[in-house]
Amino acid sequence: MDWKGYTVIYVVLFAFATAQAVVEFAGLVESAYWIAFAVIMVLSVIKAVGVAAYYQHLRWEPRAVTYLVVGGTVAALALTGAAAYSIL
Amino acid sequence: MSHDHGLPPKSSVSRWFLTTNHKDIGVLYLITALFFLVFGGVLALLFRLELITPGADLLGQMGYNQAVSTHGLLMVFWFISPFAFGFANYLVPLQIGADDLAFPRLNALSYWLYLFSGLLMGVSFFQGTTFAGGWTMYAPLNTPAYIPGEGLGATSVVLALIMFTAAVTLGSVNFLTTMYRMRAEGLRMRDIPIFSLSINLTVWMMLFAFAALLAALMILASDHILGTTYFQYSIDGTTMATDADNPGASLLWAHLFWFFGHPEVYIVFFPALGVMAECFQTFTGRRLVGRKWFIISMVLVAIQSFVVWMHHMFLTGINLPIKTIFMATTIGISLPFDLMVFSLIYTMAKGRVRFTTPFLFSLGALILFIIGGITGVFLGAIVLDYQFRGTYWVVAHFHYVMVAGATALFGGLYYWYPKITGKMYNERLGQIQFGVYFLGFNLLYFPMFIAWETPRRVFVYPESLQIWHSMATVGGFILGASFLLMFYNLFVSLWRGEDAGDNPWAYATSAEWAVSSPPPLENFPGVPSYATGKLEFLDDETVAERTERASGAGHGHAATDGGTAADGGAVTTRAAATATAMEPAHETAGEEHASHASFWPFLVSLGGFVTFLGLSGVRTGSVVYLSMAAIGGLVTFGSLFGMTREPFHAPEMAIAERWPFSSVEKMKLGMWTFLASDIVLFGAFIGSYAFVRVAYGWTAWHHDLIPAEHVTMPGLINTYLLLTSSFLVVLAMVAAERESKRGTVAALVGTFALGVGFLINKGLEWQHLFHIHSEAFPNGWNLSTNIASSTFYLTTGLHGAHVTIGLIICAYMAVRAWNGAYQGDDRAIEYFGLYWHFVDIVWLFLFPLFYIL
Ligand code: HEM
Ligand SMILES: [Cu+2]
Repeated sequence: MDWKGYTVIYVVLFAFATAQAVVEFAGLVESAYWIAFAVIMVLSVIKAVGVAAYYQHLRWEPRAVTYLVVGGTVAALALTGAAAYSIL
Repeated sequence: MSHDHGLPPKSSVSRWFLTTNHKDIGVLYLITALFFLVFGGVLALLFRLELITPGADLLGQMGYNQAVSTHGLLMVFWFISPFAFGFANYLVPLQIGADDLAFPRLNALSYWLYLFSGLLMGVSFFQGTTFAGGWTMYAPLNTPAYIPGEGLGATSVVLALIMFTAAVTLGSVNFLTTMYRMRAEGLRMRDIPIFSLSINLTVWMMLFAFAALLAALMILASDHILGTTYFQYSIDGTTMATDADNPGASLLWAHLFWFFGHPEVYIVFFPALGVMAECFQTFTGRRLVGRKWFIISMVLVAIQSFVVWMHHMFLTGINLPIKTIFMATTIGISLPFDLMVFSLIYTMAKGRVRFTTPFLFSLGALILFIIGGITGVFLGAIVLDYQFRGTYWVVAHFHYVMVAGATALFGGLYYWYPKITGKMYNERLGQIQFGVYFLGFNLLYFPMFIAWETPRRVFVYPESLQIWHSMATVGGFILGASFLLMFYNLFVSLWRGEDAGDNPWAYATSAEWAVSSPPPLENFPGVPSYATGKLEFLDDETVAERTERASGAGHGHAATDGGTAADGGAVTTRAAATATAMEPAHETAGEEHASHASFWPFLVSLGGFVTFLGLSGVRTGSVVYLSMAAIGGLVTFGSLFGMTREPFHAPEMAIAERWPFSSVEKMKLGMWTFLASDIVLFGAFIGSYAFVRVAYGWTAWHHDLIPAEHVTMPGLINTYLLLTSSFLVVLAMVAAERESKRGTVAALVGTFALGVGFLINKGLEWQHLFHIHSEAFPNGWNLSTNIASSTFYLTTGLHGAHVTIGLIICAYMAVRAWNGAYQGDDRAIEYFGLYWHFVDIVWLFLFPLFYIL
């Protein structure tokens, strides 16, 4: 990837971060918490995938490296999800 | 001298401080682990004596609690896994056809961190009292508020465990990189000897499980040292039964610990399983029956081990549906185990058995394991566990399984003793030891099933059970005595034993038996290859030929990228793999020899030891402790720097089997594996936050616990700063590729500046929050104010620490770039970038979770 591609990614990341704050400043967190929650988290996930895929070059590595990363993530999510569910 | 590449002979003491060779380090691990076995064993004998009669009349109450707790910790952490990894260090490179591990200095560092962590554990006994809260370290019992006295010894033990975990994490990264980058040509993953395969799966579990443990320990250490309140039910002094302001406190520890703890039992057992399989094959003269299914079962168990942890929590307040699910997964995990057990039995039935000492120990281990496994299934049933939980049934169960593992490993010690020493032990005496061992073991642990109503970890029990406990104590001493036979046998055989030759065992086929005993420093007489279906050693010419052919045929990178890149250098405990990226890639022209000696790993670990010892007492404000922390920190940092500057060559193999990571150069693979464990570390921190917040009430949290002054803006600014710095790192790469020195330097300096800006902004924000005076928070909002402030400061603080480490590396790289480095070869920048972008990604989640939602 050349610097132009990297710049495009950067602009998108910057915009998404701003969008997350806008969701809050617009009062959505107060009025419709769970919708705001979903929107903000989805934006974070998209940003994270973007950084991993392009800045960390996962797109161009063998799939196995992605599986490694996904493995760690799934382990952490399993812990968080099951633990939280256990006390609901 | 020159022949051994700067490494003194084995008879010289200095060799053992300098060596980075996997075989030397394997021996160091074995001996050190046996030392901790004796340490833990003596403690056990002490409290078995105590238990001859009900009541604490020998050790006293606190003495008993300390002996039981440290016995458990020493055996589980400092003996059994390191013992297995002594074999792993020695044998895995030999079995897969490598000349060493991928990062030899990192391997030495793992060992020294392990040793010093154990010493720290030992020192804790002299800080008043040591840790006394049970090896599971349940909360809130083990927070300073509930520990009698100053509790410095307990803090030291927590820190010792952190140091141990660091060693394990470095080791996991090292082994995985080795096994995926350095297998002999033609050796597919599924074809590597079963012991190495079991280590591979063990290491995968370690990578993820120990990261979760690290999170748990860091949080506990923070409660001890910094005064956060993760594991405290009530912070403002109201009673915890009626008005807890952190209702998730105790369950949080249970979840974190057992998420690690269940995989840990397989981490302990898998290497033993590998040893058993090797010994069964050799001494029955049969290939493992159903080898493919055996392997599939191991893979299944390794994965499933992460989804059964709540069977340790059946008696806590978790809900019934989740208990039921975990009962089902627990039954599920015993199925693949059955398959493995049958495979071993069937191998034995079909072969011609030779009852040598290693085989006896392996067979004994199998029998013990079957008993242990069956009694475990009882515990996995919710209704039965309601009865058995907290009794000696559990104690008996887990000793049958865990010590079964140890039994197999002792078999391994006899099995590989001739390879490691070149001498044969006394067979007759070995068989006698097995007899005494097996008798002692069963006399020690079986009565515990009968006396199962004894409450666990308590020194009083019903008088009627005394006979069983007396039997157990006698058994304990018989078991202990059997080790005297073993030590005697192995020690004397060093001088009197017959020469073992290359391969004393008929039918032993794995590659370590194809070389001399002990093997030469660089293992093989040529480059090992299985390309023709059997092991051959290629000379330089053939290698050169094949490399050319491979690149000609478009196999690409895999076969041609050998001969470059130095061993991963500078390492802090967490930044291990990170710093490897800044190591200059020493281009080694063909004939350059690998290095085998470095003093820095020892010094780094010594510094770490002093630092942690100091940290254990800083909360007392004592000058001694404070200065130890400061001096230790300096030594650690200085020696890390020295290690980075030291030229050290660990060439990649010219030809090797590298599926499925063939185009991922070893430093990059090391970095990615490290990051995977860091994902779990941060995941567990974020998971802890989510958990205590759910326990408190997700939406009430923000309103009740967080001051209005805690606003979004500083977080948003920091998000911008980090995103921009990540962008600059990729620009630095682009510039280095284009050989623009100015561009590279500018981008790196920019990254550094933005990172510093991030930290300053955070510092200002924290200062502000510490000192607010609002109606709800008249005394500011600091680490101890409430559970929300604790999670906020600790999680973002851990992230800040990652930023700081990144900045140190970044500054170093900027200076090197200024001196002309990286031009035309941007790999080092790329590896640093992997770390830096990861830190950025973490922030992308911390920002919304801690600032917006
Ligand atoms: C068939 C497989 C197994 C099953 C179904 C099983 C089940 C269980 C259960 C349900 C408990 C919790 C008991 C309680 O505290 O009430 C337990 C405890 C324990 N198990 Fe197992 N287990 C199995 C195999 C193993 C193996 C292979 C090991 C180690 C090598 C092991 C080590 C332990 C340990 C150390 C504990 C005690 C933890 C503590 O201190 O509370 N188990 N087991
Ligand atoms: Cu378990």
